[in-house]
Amino acid sequence: MAQTPKQDRMTPAERMRALLAGQPIDRVPFFPFTRGFCARNVGYPLESFYADPEKSFWSQVWTQEMYGYDGSPAIGYAAYGAWEFGGEVRFPSSQWEQAPIITRFPVQSEQDVWNLRLPDVKTAGMLPMMMQFSKLQQEFGTSINVTCGSPFTRAGNMCGIDKLCRWMVKKPELAHRLLRLATDHGVEVVQYWVDTFGAERITARTSTPAEANQVISPKQFEEFAFPYHKELHEKLLAMGVKRFHCHICGEHNLNLPYLARIPMGDRGILSFGHEVDLETAASYFPNHIIAGNVEPQVIQNGTPQQVYELCRIAIEKGKKAPGGYVLMAGCELPVMAPPYNIYVMKKAVGEFGWYDY
Amino acid sequence: MASEDRTQELLKALSDAVVAYDEEAVAELSKVILEEGIDPLDAIAKGLAAGMETVGDLYAHQAYFVPELLLCSDALYAGLDIIKPHIKTEEQEAKLKIVIGTVEGDIHDIGKNLVKMMFEATGWTVYDLGRDVKLGRFVEEQERTNSDVVALSALMTTSMLAMPKVVEMIKARNPNVAIIVGGAPLTREVANLYGADGYAESATNAVQEVINTIGRLREMRAK
Repeated sequence: MAQTPKQDRMTPAERMRALLAGQPIDRVPFFPFTRGFCARNVGYPLESFYADPEKSFWSQVWTQEMYGYDGSPAIGYAAYGAWEFGGEVRFPSSQWEQAPIITRFPVQSEQDVWNLRLPDVKTAGMLPMMMQFSKLQQEFGTSINVTCGSPFTRAGNMCGIDKLCRWMVKKPELAHRLLRLATDHGVEVVQYWVDTFGAERITARTSTPAEANQVISPKQFEEFAFPYHKELHEKLLAMGVKRFHCHICGEHNLNLPYLARIPMGDRGILSFGHEVDLETAASYFPNHIIAGNVEPQVIQNGTPQQVYELCRIAIEKGKKAPGGYVLMAGCELPVMAPPYNIYVMKKAVGEFGWYDY
Repeated sequence: MASEDRTQELLKALSDAVVAYDEEAVAELSKVILEEGIDPLDAIAKGLAAGMETVGDLYAHQAYFVPELLLCSDALYAGLDIIKPHIKTEEQEAKLKIVIGTVEGDIHDIGKNLVKMMFEATGWTVYDLGRDVKLGRFVEEQERTNSDVVALSALMTTSMLAMPKVVEMIKARNPNVAIIVGGAPLTREVANLYGADGYAESATNAVQEVINTIGRLREMRAK
């Protein structure tokens, strides 16, 4: 490793602005993709990360200050949709939990699908807390993120992914109804954010865990996931939203040809898990920023040397991406990750991540 | 009593119906098989389980994905529910036993349910604890059932951390129990790190992995 580390020549905000504009930057940015880890890091209860917008926001700001990484605070959770459409979730509290989990799906039967209605975006589920969080983002001057999909993952959260899978084959009209509701809800939420903050500062965020090829086939992705995700992005673009961060979570290699046809703004950020090679990702998204893909399980269970090596490999591949690259964990950085392993990730950027400009 | 040819014809049809995830056909054929006096154990092994073996191959070759696996599982259970009550009690008690569950803090259970189905299809007695299972319940259930195997599932990096704790708790009470782990964040390396005896990469190889693990443990104890 370098004995005299290079110094940053840009602030995190300058670096991201330049990266998004396609301009030269000093080094690869580093977003560890920290969520509940931040609450633990500053001594807050894990539940507060999702239940208390102030604690969630400041735990992220302070953790970022401590490690010196890039990016800005964000809020969202993978089980979004269940609570918002009338089900129930449980906030994480035990040492084995990570994020809110669904305790009751709003859709239990086929009839529930037809009875389901779009919720009030001002009062449903976690939306009031997310709005409060975004007001902190506005006040602090960071990008204002709004999670709005993916429609497929959210549909799965409404009825249970096992029901959705069965209905896709046996009763596709039920699956399409839920996907329609999930898409329309995503659009309504973003419209609310645009009406509140204006479109210019908004980053629309989606993630795609339920539609990974560990679950569905590319043909099923083409019919049930792709059209709705594409429609969502097109409608958001029409509203004036310019920035997208799409977290392509899990094994998506067979879905990449379809994902590449979803408009991601100018320029979008696409983050990938360890299942998708970064060079492959860059080939499908040459005009967008690629992020990832350090395996979270290794960040938690691995040695610092193993983490460092994975970061080296990711940085060396990612730096070749024509649209630009951000070092990230392949999915949420584990709540119980050894803090030193995050420090090691930053060290890897310091060793391998410089550009010559 | 069905002839040999008729038996083979019916068992093949049953197997094909599982592969085609045709619940109604599986149920109907299962009734016919019993009416024609075919051995229920053969119906399960050479009809239902044989069908699931083909399903496993289709999954391994990415012709089938989780939706198809779930529907094939539904078809399998449609047959098992009809055939199993006709199996003699002493034949059932001789089967190997497995306790299975998704660990505390984790509600993901599709993979676990598919593994459960694979074991039931091959004649194991499965004690399914469900999901978000308190760690001590695995120990209690293993002792209550005297199961040969405990299978732990986790999909989250936080919940996977419960696995070494469960392994330690079970081994402290009964070191001869084989413990296998599985779930998206797991690897064989991590399974070894956690002290597990085996690792199931997918539902379709879980049964073979357990058989191999039990064999390996017996060899080690014999030395």
